[in-house]
Amino acid sequence: MITLPPSERDVHAYVDGQLNDADQQTMETYLAANPELAKQVLAWQLDVQNLRAGLSGDLHRPMNPELDPAYVRQRLRRNRTRHFATAAVLLIAVSIGGLSGWQAREMTLASGAPPMADAVQAYRMFAVNDNMASDWNTGKPNNVQVWLDKNFAQANRLPDLESAGFKPVSGRLTSTEQGAAAMVVYKDEQGRTLSFYIRPPAERNHLLPRGTRRDGELQADYWSGGGYNYAVVGPADDPAAQAARQALKQPI
Amino acid sequence: MNDVDDQLRELLPRMRRFAVSLTRDYSSADDLVQSTLEKALSAWSTKRQEGDLRAWLFSILYRQFLDAHRRSRRYSRMLELFTGGKEDHFEPSVERTVVAQTTLQAFERLTTEQRALLLWVSVEGLSYNEVAAILDVPVGTVMSRLSRARQALRLLSEGEITTPALRILK
Repeated sequence: MITLPPSERDVHAYVDGQLNDADQQTMETYLAANPELAKQVLAWQLDVQNLRAGLSGDLHRPMNPELDPAYVRQRLRRNRTRHFATAAVLLIAVSIGGLSGWQAREMTLASGAPPMADAVQAYRMFAVNDNMASDWNTGKPNNVQVWLDKNFAQANRLPDLESAGFKPVSGRLTSTEQGAAAMVVYKDEQGRTLSFYIRPPAERNHLLPRGTRRDGELQADYWSGGGYNYAVVGPADDPAAQAARQALKQPI
Repeated sequence: MNDVDDQLRELLPRMRRFAVSLTRDYSSADDLVQSTLEKALSAWSTKRQEGDLRAWLFSILYRQFLDAHRRSRRYSRMLELFTGGKEDHFEPSVERTVVAQTTLQAFERLTTEQRALLLWVSVEGLSYNEVAAILDVPVGTVMSRLSRARQALRLLSEGEITTPALRILK
């Protein structure tokens, strides 16, 4: 309820049509009796009318399709997709970087040498050569395990391939960059040859997971344990050698 | 979703008009409306309060304008250093209706807040409470600012006072 004479605020509220009906009525009565104020109010009301009229044209401007909410929504989605896409591209770039780094590492390792390449090499040079000078042979007083233990502390036991008919016949020490290595040659009654090779881990190969690798006509089965790398090398397709490999798989 | 779009679509002309009254330029007004819509759509589920949608949109639009204006003023001040300065001067558009040209011209010369106040209250018919919420000031403050705006409009229409904006520099 307004009081008379009306406050300035009430007058403006009147001009803005924000008074309730009763107050509106009161105000009109008051204005009728106060021409000075009435004149001012009328001027304000005219301004309001003029403003409304003057600005009404702006309500009827041609549609701008870019302002349609559906379009704006789409744009927002596109932007979001673009952000995702950017993030995805970044992720892919980083992954490619990481993968190629890993790949490069693998390649460096691979280019260094396939695992236990020297075992295969030693087999080719010595094992099939019966005139090989040996550091241990069946004529020596110690058995082969004792001979081996002198040179390799805590190494795994020599594989027992007797079930497949292979027995140790000679052994030879060689050297690698990392230290001493040894090869023990096994033969069966038919003169087929297998070799057992032991060496310290190479600089980059470290210890090897159990694996098999074919190199020409030869096959190398390799593994690690007790701080050394081991390989058994023999003809890849020979059935007797296959049987010996089966025996290898038994716990040593 | 479509219901939301329809509500927004219906208010588009009013948003555009308000934007023009602030920017006094049609194309930047539409840019302003667009960014307002983007803001409104992304904030719809979290920020939208009960109450008049129009008032909510006006308040987003007004804030966006003030932010942009502040940025551009900083920018234009920097620009003045290089160009020697130019008074920002607005030519009333011929697109506008010729009715009440005097009042309109006076309106253009009001301050940003005065233009917004008069448009909200006198033209759009928002309540004092809604305006107080948009400007984040007490209702009493809204009323006294509105009173000043109205008097300024009156005086400007009668050509009794001139403001610096009246100077037309070439």
